[in-house]
Amino acid sequence: MLNIQNLTVSVDDKTILKGLNLNVPAGEVHAIMGPNGAGKSTLGYTLAGRPNYEVTQGVVDFNGEDLLDKEVHERAAAGLYLSFQYPLEIPGVPAMTFIRTALNAQRKVRGEEEMSAPEFLKTIREVAKTLKIDMDMLKRPLNVGFSGGEKKRMEVLQMALLQPKFLILDETDSGLDIDALKVVSDGVNALRAPDRGMLVITHYQRLLDHIKPDRIHILVDGRIVHSGGPELALELEAHGYDRYVNEAA
Amino acid sequence: MAFDLTPLDLFDPSSYPTRRHEEWKYSDLSRALRDAPARADLTHMQAEAGDFGGFYWHCAGDGQLADLQAAVSRAVQSSDGRLYLDMSDIGGEGTIAGYQGEGRITLAAGEHLILLEDYSGALDYAASTVLHFDLAEGATLIRVVILDEPESAVSVRRSTVTTAPGSVFKQYVFATGAKFQRFETHVEHAGHGAQVEMHGAYLLKDTAHFDYTTRVNHAEVDGATQQLIKGLVKDRATAVFQGRIYVEKGADGTDARMRHQALMLNDGAHVRAKPELEIYADDVQCAHGNTIGALDESALFFCQSRGMPEEVARALLMQAFVVPVAEQIEDEALREMVLNWIADKTEGFYAL
Ligand SMILES: Nc1ncnc2c1ncn2[C@@H]1O[C@H](COP(=O)(O)OP(=O)(O)OP(=O)(O)O)[C@@H](O)[C@H]1O
Ligand SMILES: [Mg+2]
Repeated sequence: MLNIQNLTVSVDDKTILKGLNLNVPAGEVHAIMGPNGAGKSTLGYTLAGRPNYEVTQGVVDFNGEDLLDKEVHERAAAGLYLSFQYPLEIPGVPAMTFIRTALNAQRKVRGEEEMSAPEFLKTIREVAKTLKIDMDMLKRPLNVGFSGGEKKRMEVLQMALLQPKFLILDETDSGLDIDALKVVSDGVNALRAPDRGMLVITHYQRLLDHIKPDRIHILVDGRIVHSGGPELALELEAHGYDRYVNEAA
Repeated sequence: MAFDLTPLDLFDPSSYPTRRHEEWKYSDLSRALRDAPARADLTHMQAEAGDFGGFYWHCAGDGQLADLQAAVSRAVQSSDGRLYLDMSDIGGEGTIAGYQGEGRITLAAGEHLILLEDYSGALDYAASTVLHFDLAEGATLIRVVILDEPESAVSVRRSTVTTAPGSVFKQYVFATGAKFQRFETHVEHAGHGAQVEMHGAYLLKDTAHFDYTTRVNHAEVDGATQQLIKGLVKDRATAVFQGRIYVEKGADGTDARMRHQALMLNDGAHVRAKPELEIYADDVQCAHGNTIGALDESALFFCQSRGMPEEVARALLMQAFVVPVAEQIEDEALREMVLNWIADKTEGFYAL
């Protein structure tokens, strides 16, 4: 579903991803772990199409299409969703307005009909309830003054409403309390489907107890240096990245 | 204190201020208007009361405007207390038609008026107007001004406001600029405990010029002045904000706050801001802030990554930047009208 080959990316003339290879088939959940500054968020941003993230080498195939050739919003319409490590505050735009604008923009690109206001309201109400998000919060400007955990919940709410085909979760677990972690994980798990893929970036084994990955990849210094099954997370928890960092050096 | 402020005389070019005048440093009228315009023929215009107590302010003829008080009195006494001052269809086609004049709006003790001034239209004109607002004790005036003037327009709109104890004056100006567009408001806090708000939002593109100049004098105790001015400037447009708040000796308990925030959407756009506070009283709370920035590119990317095309995302963020000004309008019908107007204007704004 998502096939990345030899991806090399520079930001402000600094090479951050250095020939990264990764393949996530439909229906699978892959986790990426790795030390701070390894390039995990850079991978997410590059796939989403952030300006200034210059791809100097490599190809990314997304469902048979060249992902890197698409504009940012076209990638979203094609089904790619990046849950931000640090979701942005959007002053002046109520969360509800933001999400509806995004949803209808995607539908338009796909040639689908817009979702009517009543239908949208009904849908968002249901989803908000399962994620334990208060409707009042959705009337406030998106993420402005929201706590770290609330911002992450908003990311998952948008995910649930936009129903993307491929999810990249960049440390969606950070900042969540124990109950919220469960609620958010349930939300993510509800999206698991044979035609959907996920890439879960995390530092903690804890999240992977809730969202069980099929594969775990270790990203060090801009490359995937090791891949394995779910047991790899336990090993990392016990021994850290030392072994892989030294190997990469 | 009575204001000694008359309309700038359009028909006498030798009287035009130049950039050598400190107050006109950023707005060069003599460059925008080299010669005196022809006098507009306003005689055929009739005063009309329509929706919203509509009134055309131009029935005196020979480039001079009529007095307003009769219309104001009718509006104040009507059930909805509103007056719609329609200035939208004066001017010439191809030739600049000039008109000028003064109007006085006096509110007696405890009276309320909601005034909507609509300066829009498509004709060519040069205009110089002064509106005087005299508020008696406890009177309330809500003033919404739409300066949606044609690109070719040259306009200098002045107003004076004199408060009395406990009176309330709230002004909301929405401007798209013109060849030359200057909006001045001079406020005299002549009554203790008067409350003044003077807000504004501007959306400027191409070579539009908009100048919002406010002068506030706190002469009495416990007066309040609040200002929030926000704007978007793109292409080669110019925004000027000159705000001065002067607190006289003895005007203790004054609360004055002035904020100006502009977004420059490209290089080549200009924002000239000159906020000033001068305080000679004790026990006052005063603050002013001025920020000029660019559209937040990270927020833009965030919006796009959720599926919004760049132009939709830009329009959304730009609109979000200026709507807080309109959201302060308490009257729901007016607020909705202005919000729709802003949505309409920002939509045509994003194209690069
Ligand atoms: N504009 C930039 N200029 C130079 N270096 C940058 C720039 N942006 C990011 N980097 C660097 O790129 C590297 C990778 O950053 P990235 O955010 O992808 O790391 P990460 O693996 O997500 O780390 P963390 O676990 O802390 O979230 C870091 O060393 C960072 O400092
Ligand atoms: Mg990161």
